[in-house]
Amino acid sequence: MRRVKTPRFAFLMLLTVTGLFSLPMGVMVLTSLKSPAELDANPHAWLPDRWQASNYREVVTTMPYFLYLRNTLVLCVGSVVGSVLSCSLVAYGFARLRWRGRDRWFGLLIATMLLPWQATMIPRFLLLRELGMYNSLAALIVPTFLGDAFYIFLLRQFFLSLPEDLLDAARLDGCSELGVFVRIAIPLSKPALATVALFQFVAAWNDFNGPLLYLSDPEKFPLAYGLERLVSAYSTQTHLVMAGAVLFSLPIVLLFLLTQRMFLRNTVSGSIKG
Amino acid sequence: MSHRNARQATLCGWGFISPWLLGFFSLTLFPFVASLYYSFCRYDLLSPPRWVGGENYRQLADELVSGGPLAHALWNTGYFALVSVPLSIALGIGLAVMLSWPVRGQPLFRTLLYLPSVLPILATAILWQWLFDPRQGFVNHTLGLLGLGQPGWFTSVEELLVGGTPGSKDALILMALWSTGNFMVIYLAALGDIPRSLYEAAQLDGASRWRQFWHITLPLLSPVIFFNLVMGTIQAIQTFTQIYVLSAGQGDPDRSLLVVSLHLFLTAFQDLRMGYASAMAWLLFVLVMGITWLLFRTARRWVFYQGAVR
Amino acid sequence: MNVSRWQLATLVVIGIVLAALAAVEGRRPVPEGRQEVVFWHFWGGPYRPVVERIVERFNRRQARYWVRAVAMPGSNLDTKMFLSVTGGDPPDLINQDKPIVADWAQRGIVRPLAELASDAELEALDTWLYPPAKKLGSYHGTLYGLCNGLDVRALYYNQTMLADYELQPPKNLEALDQIAQAIAPPDATEPRAYFGYLPDPRRLWAWGIVFGGQFYDPATGRVSADDPRIVQALAWMGSYSQRYGSRQVAAFRQGDQRLPGSTFPLFGPYDPATQQRRYGNYALVMDGQWRVAEITRVNRAALAAGKPVHQYGVVPLPTPAGGRQQAGWVNGNFFLVPRGARQPAGAWEFMKFWSGFGGHEAQAAQACAEGGWIPASPQVVTEPVFQSYLNQNPLMKTFVELAKSEHQVPIPALPVAALYRREIEAAGQAVMYRGADPETVLREVTQRVQARLDEVRHASR
Repeated sequence: MRRVKTPRFAFLMLLTVTGLFSLPMGVMVLTSLKSPAELDANPHAWLPDRWQASNYREVVTTMPYFLYLRNTLVLCVGSVVGSVLSCSLVAYGFARLRWRGRDRWFGLLIATMLLPWQATMIPRFLLLRELGMYNSLAALIVPTFLGDAFYIFLLRQFFLSLPEDLLDAARLDGCSELGVFVRIAIPLSKPALATVALFQFVAAWNDFNGPLLYLSDPEKFPLAYGLERLVSAYSTQTHLVMAGAVLFSLPIVLLFLLTQRMFLRNTVSGSIKG
Repeated sequence: MSHRNARQATLCGWGFISPWLLGFFSLTLFPFVASLYYSFCRYDLLSPPRWVGGENYRQLADELVSGGPLAHALWNTGYFALVSVPLSIALGIGLAVMLSWPVRGQPLFRTLLYLPSVLPILATAILWQWLFDPRQGFVNHTLGLLGLGQPGWFTSVEELLVGGTPGSKDALILMALWSTGNFMVIYLAALGDIPRSLYEAAQLDGASRWRQFWHITLPLLSPVIFFNLVMGTIQAIQTFTQIYVLSAGQGDPDRSLLVVSLHLFLTAFQDLRMGYASAMAWLLFVLVMGITWLLFRTARRWVFYQGAVR
Repeated sequence: MNVSRWQLATLVVIGIVLAALAAVEGRRPVPEGRQEVVFWHFWGGPYRPVVERIVERFNRRQARYWVRAVAMPGSNLDTKMFLSVTGGDPPDLINQDKPIVADWAQRGIVRPLAELASDAELEALDTWLYPPAKKLGSYHGTLYGLCNGLDVRALYYNQTMLADYELQPPKNLEALDQIAQAIAPPDATEPRAYFGYLPDPRRLWAWGIVFGGQFYDPATGRVSADDPRIVQALAWMGSYSQRYGSRQVAAFRQGDQRLPGSTFPLFGPYDPATQQRRYGNYALVMDGQWRVAEITRVNRAALAAGKPVHQYGVVPLPTPAGGRQQAGWVNGNFFLVPRGARQPAGAWEFMKFWSGFGGHEAQAAQACAEGGWIPASPQVVTEPVFQSYLNQNPLMKTFVELAKSEHQVPIPALPVAALYRREIEAAGQAVMYRGADPETVLREVTQRVQARLDEVRHASR
């Protein structure tokens, strides 16, 4: 892009917009550090008069934060592994193999993206129940091993951009298609796989409906649903609810900060133009 | 390619996509067909489904025509999708263009603008309810300082597009716009793919920055816009969690947040009418298909594909 | 460099996992020779320790059973419970307060008490319970739920505030209207800091009864939300919106309920400058007996800190001419044993223990005094522990008196009660927030709920 003539103007504008977008998060953090009396007396004050970090201790001790966190991580890691494995395999099959009926099946895959989850919710529940997965994190993890249309679509676009020569060279060396996939395609696709991994991590972290429908034992609740318990228990204590919200968001924000350069640069850089 | 090879290739292809095939048949197609069957039954999950023919669909039409909850739900879903999707596309492009400016601190700006969409939905919902509280929230406090009106936001049944005063759905839309980062990121990537030479040529012709945006950037972004339009509409129609949390689980105040997905959930799991809920799910599906079909029809007129279509 | 960042991220994730694993305590094991009874409840906040103490007392006295209490999110406990039954993995016992006994009994989700209790016990229970407690747990004359505490609503008032305005607590509905207008005259244009009184749109259940209506007519077997007296009640509720404007009313009444941070709406914050207590949102509000404990707690803390406090009082819901005295909407917490429970016998022992039935009255009185609950039986009320609690908390007496009244009516035990409840609450909002016509709205509600009821009845035939 050509150099911006008025960098100061651009900078100020970005600063304003970003500031506006960050305000709510600031309110969340600051509110979580106030005392209830202060919130009551003066809800509009920005900074707390007295910084009350003990709110956090209270949240962590009254709700089994670390138990929920563990469940969330099991869920996140399990479903990331599932999504990356299954979606990359399927996407390669759609991108780099020639076989009869491929495009028709791919069209079908795209069509499933249009299906509202509500339309399949009830029979799906019954099916997973029959498979003995009710009240188990497996009900939320196992389906990710069976692919997800959106991720398959993203990865396919990426695989399409790999140079054919590289793959052919490997094939001439006597590699099977699976070998080509594992040894050539996968190593070259790390950024795209990482994008899918992060998307799925965030999605699993946030999943509310899944636990709502499938989990009944609080010892298996992930954070996203455990926070609901905090809200109903503490509905009268904003400062604690906000502290819970911060604790709930913090790990994912940290993870994002660590990976953001990579992520923001490479997301769907194969792009959506298919 | 020989016959044998072709068969082998097909087998190989099926082998690669087998995880998805398994998922498609078990978790998509089977539930899909089963829910079609249930939609012709009376079913409470506990006793076996009982065939009632088109009764559920007749009731669906009835509820719609008589202005029952379903009529509210369709209106609310439509309002939310119709307003939030175009706005989020415009906002996403605007932010992406700004973020592509080469200014100091660009990575930080990118992170901060994307962050809201990583925040957990439940946390976001609680936070915005607090911000938008008409009497104690920061938003109305600020509006008051500026001498502006005091809308009821989440507590009000009003609608900005109908009565001129923002209410619950408008607050919901603002909240959705705040976490529009996923789209922004996609635009940002697409902006990076636009060949620089096009802008250089335009500059040589003396085209203003605005004209460059209008005649180069937008057309080249149009496939991505189209993608986001379709996906965004589908997402908007399916939105559930934040609404469930923000509306006391039942669409309060007075069904102004009762969207189809919430109505469906309540029908299924509170009223225990799985058959009727399935019929509603099918209505939703037909609706989504119809909208998508329409969007694809119009796409030919305005979506511009650079080079060959893959 | 990118890859190394990802590796770092992976390390962080693994680190958090390990930390979390290390920090998680294992589940407390079931003692040797005891059978575990899994018990779901929705008690949080200050009630949590009270519940834990009850469970502890029970477990200490038991040789056969061992109750494991599980606190669930209250807002969708009923949905969870239903799904756990269909999923084949239900708890043994549940304590909750949604009016779903009829919905679930009709579909066989919960077990009738007759399957758990002996005939002698059932017979004794019939006279042991307060009439509203019995109604709450019954469907078609069969007892399914055992009530352990009633939720009764009455009109709280801020005595200090009324005195400032030289007003008396209302004796009838007319007086309530006058107080409301004296404190908040309808002609003000500025946004208000407080109102005298605003009806809660969800509480047509209470006002409909007070005005003399009934929501279900057992004689005809028909839903009767369009009862003229209920229409009258709703029109009266709507008159407040006409007076003050829907938006103002909604900003107050919706805000009360859902904003995290809201407490008893009669409490006002302390003015940071003068250290005087400000008025709350209203001078009067309809609310349940649980606020008594909250008032005591808040005032005690304020006095200890040397701050001024407001005094509060409570009266039965005021009545219009021709309405019912001592009337209102009653709800309660009750135990249910789901179908598929593995330890129904243990569940029965525990629910008797908590509610006080079968010789446990003294322990139940203790629990009710700690939790600020209204016992489900007069025999618990007469226990010395509870009597001394009443003497220390005179506001509670009004509620306990009301619990005896035959005009305290729960949501009708219909297998479409969940729907009926949503419809009535929406009707109140439609009138108060949209200015809808009460009669039209209630006629539509009646039609919709009746149609569902017919359907359920037809299906079960």
